[in-house]
Amino acid sequence: MKTTDLTVLGHGSFVRGNVRGDGDVEIEGRVEGEIEVAGAVTVGADGIVKASIRASRIVVRGAVLGDLVATESLRLEKGARVVGDLRAPSIGIAEGGLVRGNVETGEASSAPAARAAQKPAQRPAVQARPAPAQAPARIAAPVAKAAPTPAPKPAVERAVAPPPVVPVLRKGAKGAVKKKAR
Amino acid sequence: MASTVIAQGITIEGEVTTDDQVVVQGTLRGKLAAKDVVTIENGAVVEADVSGASVSVGGHVTGNVSANERVDLVAGGRLVGDVRAAKLTIADGASFKGNVDMDV
Repeated sequence: MKTTDLTVLGHGSFVRGNVRGDGDVEIEGRVEGEIEVAGAVTVGADGIVKASIRASRIVVRGAVLGDLVATESLRLEKGARVVGDLRAPSIGIAEGGLVRGNVETGEASSAPAARAAQKPAQRPAVQARPAPAQAPARIAAPVAKAAPTPAPKPAVERAVAPPPVVPVLRKGAKGAVKKKAR
Repeated sequence: MASTVIAQGITIEGEVTTDDQVVVQGTLRGKLAAKDVVTIENGAVVEADVSGASVSVGGHVTGNVSANERVDLVAGGRLVGDVRAAKLTIADGASFKGNVDMDV
């Protein structure tokens, strides 16, 4: 008999393992492992979660060590202490909420967050480019030294973060210049 | 009065240790160690050893059940596993396969 769709892990409980399924989960106790739920997950003020949480909506008022990925919304209320990455289309961090980790909203709306998220993705992409793109790198070498902004644009399609891109091109340009010298 | 409820759509794989009362309506695989009343409702699937102060089995339980006070197999409950408790009732309509040890 389905009396309730809400799973409550009460204050005195300790779950070590995976929690999966449909429905909503309220965590007032301790959880270690992984939480992957189709509904909403609420970590209460006394909740201590050492797990990654994947859900449609996540509200945190307690302590979480793990990544939080929500498909709809993610909210850290006052009293939330999160060490881990946050990823959701809509993220709210209320005053008093503490977080340490990468924050990524669905559309990369805030530039610094977008740069931080795309930095590691861009570096390997651009490092792979100098080898095939030697000619534009050589041509761009004097331009790169003088004015960094025009040089990354042909090499990198997004107008994001010229500073992280330029050192890589400089390295490639130096290599191109060296090869020129040889 | 704290209470832990594992709702019907949820599957927990692992160990659950709690001081609260526990109501299981979903699926639990692993181990359940409670200090209070454990109620496994109709529709629940528990593949775990269950221990509590008292345990009521109304769903499918595969595993040993031990309680400090009593174990009740209610109608609709199926238990495959051993029972250790001071008191035991098996209702009309419940299924049970296992050993019983009441000398606790």
